[in-house]
Amino acid sequence: MSGALDLSPGIPAARRRGLILGGDPLLAGLVGLVLAAALGLVLLPPAPYLVNMIGQLAAFAILAVSLDLVWGYLGILSLGHGLFFAIGGYVCAMHLLAHAYVVTGTAPDLMQFMGWKSLPVYWTGLTSAPYALALALGLAAAVAFVFGLASFRSRVNGVYFSIISQALVYVAMLLMFRNDTGLGGNNGMTGFSLLFGWPMGSPGVVTGLAVATLLSLAAVLVGARALVASPLGRRMLACRDDEARLRTLGYGTTRLKLGIWCLSAAIAALAGLLYVPQVGIINPRVLSPDLSIEIAVWVAIGGMGRLGGAVIGAIAVNALKFWLSAAMPEAWPFILSGLVLVVVLGLPNGLLDLATLRLKPNWLQRAGPQP
Amino acid sequence: MVKGPGRFGFVALLLWASSLVMPPALAAEATLDRGALATALCGDGAAQAKAVEGVLRNSAEATSGDLAWAGTILRALLDRRLACLGESALVLDRAGATDGRDAATGTARPVTGGRSPVLGLRQRALIETASGAASLLTGADVELRRAGLAALERRIATVPEALLLRAASAESDPGLRAGLAAIAQSAALSSVDPARRLAAIRAVSEAPSGAAFSRLSALKADAAYGSDPAFRSALDAALARVERAVSIGNGLAVLYNGLSFASILFMAAAGLAIIFGLMGVINLAQGEFIMIGAYATYGVQEAVRRIAPGWLDAYLLAAIPVAFLTSALVGIAIEALILRHLYRRPLMSLLATWAVSLFLINGVRVAVGSQNLQFAMPPYVSGGVPLYADFVVTWNRLFAIAFAAVTLVLTLVILKRTPLGLDIRAVTQNRDMAACLGIRTRRVDRLAFGFGSGLAGLAGVALCPIYSVNPGMGANFVIDSFMVVVLGGVGTVVGTLVAALGIGGANVLIEPLYGAVAAKVIVLAGIILFLQRRPEGLFAVRRRR
Repeated sequence: MSGALDLSPGIPAARRRGLILGGDPLLAGLVGLVLAAALGLVLLPPAPYLVNMIGQLAAFAILAVSLDLVWGYLGILSLGHGLFFAIGGYVCAMHLLAHAYVVTGTAPDLMQFMGWKSLPVYWTGLTSAPYALALALGLAAAVAFVFGLASFRSRVNGVYFSIISQALVYVAMLLMFRNDTGLGGNNGMTGFSLLFGWPMGSPGVVTGLAVATLLSLAAVLVGARALVASPLGRRMLACRDDEARLRTLGYGTTRLKLGIWCLSAAIAALAGLLYVPQVGIINPRVLSPDLSIEIAVWVAIGGMGRLGGAVIGAIAVNALKFWLSAAMPEAWPFILSGLVLVVVLGLPNGLLDLATLRLKPNWLQRAGPQP
Repeated sequence: MVKGPGRFGFVALLLWASSLVMPPALAAEATLDRGALATALCGDGAAQAKAVEGVLRNSAEATSGDLAWAGTILRALLDRRLACLGESALVLDRAGATDGRDAATGTARPVTGGRSPVLGLRQRALIETASGAASLLTGADVELRRAGLAALERRIATVPEALLLRAASAESDPGLRAGLAAIAQSAALSSVDPARRLAAIRAVSEAPSGAAFSRLSALKADAAYGSDPAFRSALDAALARVERAVSIGNGLAVLYNGLSFASILFMAAAGLAIIFGLMGVINLAQGEFIMIGAYATYGVQEAVRRIAPGWLDAYLLAAIPVAFLTSALVGIAIEALILRHLYRRPLMSLLATWAVSLFLINGVRVAVGSQNLQFAMPPYVSGGVPLYADFVVTWNRLFAIAFAAVTLVLTLVILKRTPLGLDIRAVTQNRDMAACLGIRTRRVDRLAFGFGSGLAGLAGVALCPIYSVNPGMGANFVIDSFMVVVLGGVGTVVGTLVAALGIGGANVLIEPLYGAVAAKVIVLAGIILFLQRRPEGLFAVRRRR
C-alpha cells in the first residue's frame, strides 16, 4: 500500500530518505544534545548522584516518547503505560537478583522472606541478560497485544480506552502487592549487588548505565522519527484525525493501531529496564494509576504529537520534581496540578507553544480541534 | 455473640423443664445460717470448702439478702479483709484497718488480736466461684454481674444449672442474658441425663449459628456418640440442619454486603454516567466529590455538636442537603472555570480533572489533615438485627442501601419528569438539534455537572458510617465506578444500576472464594470480554454524534 500513495507533503522523497531528522530541527537538536551529554559523561564525569539523575531522566524521556507515539500520533491515550514500564523494571530486577544469586550465592531477600529453598520456576533462565531483555520486551508486547486486540477489535477508543487501561494498571498493582507472586510482594525487589559481574553503585557502573540510557534515548528518538516520517506514520496521523474515514478508504486500522501499540509497550518496557538498576528498587507503587497518569502529564506539558515535546516534558517535569519534592514536598502536588491546568487550558500544544507565542495571544479563546 | 429469639425460647424451655424435675421443698427459698458460715470461714481448709460448696449449692434457692451478705463476706475473705476473733468474723473496709464490723451482726468492733484466715488454692477457686455466683445474682450494675458470670464460667462444671436459670430469668441486660443462655446450653449439652441432652441438642439446632455448629461438633467426640444410636442420629440431624442454615445465612450476608457496596458504587457512578453521556467527559475527580461529601458531613457533625449538642444524632440527616450542595457547587465551579473550555478535547479534560483531583486531595490534606475522621454513630446506623443464623442486618449498611434507593428514585424523577431532565435527555441524544430548538446547552451542561457531582457528594454521606474517611478515600471507589459506567453504558441510570449491582455482587461473590485481588482481576477481564460483544455497554442510549 505504501507505494500507492505518497501522503507526505513538503520534503521531496529523495531528501527525506537521507535525512530523517531533517524535517524536525527540534528533534535533531535534542538528539545532538543527548549524544553530547553521553560523551560529556564519559569524558568529564560529574558527581555520581548527578550522573545517576541524568540517567533516570533519560529513562523517563524514553517512557514519555513511547506514550507520545500512541497518544500524539495515534490518538490513543493510555493511562496504564506504567504497566509496561513495570514489566521491564520487574524483569530487570529479576535478572539482577538471579545473576547475583548465581555469582555470589547470597539468596535474594524475597526467598528468605517467603522461606523458599529455590526461586520459582518462572525465574528460570533469567541469569542470562539477552533472555531477560527479550523477555521484558516480549512480555510487554504480548500483554499489550492481548489487551489491544480485545479493545481495538471491538472499537473501544477515546476516553473508554483510557479508563479501561487505567483499571488494568490498577488491577496489576493489586496483584503485585500480593506476597505469593514470587516477585517481592509489597516490598518489591531491591538490594541489587551486581551488574554483569561488576559491583552496583561503583562510578563506572553508574556512568555506564546513564550513558547506555542516553544512547537508548537517542536511538529511540531516531527510530520513532523514522517511523512517524514514513508513510506508515502518515497513516497513523490519518487514523488519529479520522479513523472512520481511513477505514472507509480501505486501510485496516485495527492492525495499524495494534502494531504501534505493541511497539510503544516494548519501548516503555525498555525504559523500565534501564530505570530500575539506576534507582536500585522496584515495587508495586510503580503501578499506581497516578503514576501512569503522570506520564501522560509529562507528554501534555511538553507538547503531545511532537517527539521532542515528550522529551522536554518528561525532563522538565521530573527535574522540577527532583528539586521540589526535596525543597518543598508539600507544594509539589499543587504546582503539578497548576501546571497541568495552565497547559491544558492555555497551551494546547504544551510548552512548545511558548516558542511560538504571539505578541497578542489568542489562547484565551477556545482552542481549535484537538485529538 | 448473636442474640436470637431462639435462645430465649430455649431458656424458657429449660425453666419449664427444671420446674418439673425440681422437688417443691427445694424450690422454696432456703435460709442461710450466717453465723455458721462466718465460723466455718474462720476454720480450717476442709471446713471452709464444705461451707462454700454449701453456699454454691444453695445459691439458686437462697434469698437475695442472704446472697448479698455471703457475697460481701466471701469477697472480704478473698481481699484479705476478713479478721477472725474467736468464733466471730469481722469485715474490714480495707486490708489492715484497725476496726471493722461483725459479719453476722453488723456491729462495729476493734480488730485487736484478730487473725486473717489462710486460703488454699482449692478453697480460693471455690470462693471465687461462689462469690461470682453472688455477684451475678445480686450485683447492682451490669459490669458487676458480668464479672460474676466470668468467674462462674472458669469453673462451669461446679455450677448448678438452677443457679444459671435463676440468673437468666432475673437478668435485664440482653447481652448478659444471651451469655447466660449460651452457658446454660453448654451445661445442658454435657448433662448426664440423656433426655435432657437430646432436648438441648434440639434446642441448639433451633437457633443455628457458627458457634452452635462448633458446639455441636464438639459432641461428636463424646462417648455417647458411639454407644447411643438415638443420641447419634439426633446429633447428626441437628448438625446437618445447623450447617445448612449457617451456609444460607452466610450467603445472605455476602449478598447483603454486595448490595451495600453496589449502592455506594451506584451513587458514585450515576453522576459519572450522566456527565459522560452528556458531555463525553470522564471526571477523574469524581472520587474527590465523594470525599467532599464526606467532609461536609463531618463539618455538619462538628457544627451540630457545637450549636445543638442534643440534636447530634440527627447530623447525618442534616448533612444530606449540605453534602449535596457543597459537592454540586464545587462541581459547577470546576465546570465553569475549567471543563467548559475542553468539551472538544475529552482526553485533555481527563488530565484536567486529574489535576483537579490532585489539587482537592492535597488541599484537604493541608487544610484538615490526612488522618481518618471520627464520626459519631447515631443509633440508626449502629448495631443491627440478627435475621437468620449468622446473618445480621447492620443498620449502617441498610442506611446506605436505603439512601441509594431514594437517590435512584429521585434521579429517575428528575431525569424523566422535570424540564431540566428533559433538557438533559435531549442534549444527550443530539446536542446540535437540541441547541437548534432553543435549549441552552451550556446551561444544561453546567446544571447536569452540578447534579452529577452532588450525587457523588450523597455517596459521601452514605459511606461515612461504613468506610473510613480521609483525603485519599476517593481512590477506593473511583476505578470501580468507572467500570460501572463502562459496563452500564453511558447516560442511562438503569444501566448504571444494573452494572453497579453486577460489579458489586461479583466482587463480593468472588472475594470469599479466591480473594479480593482475584475478584478485581476477574471483574476487569469479564468487562473487557463483555465489551467484545457490546462495546456500548449494557444499555446504550441511541444518539447521533
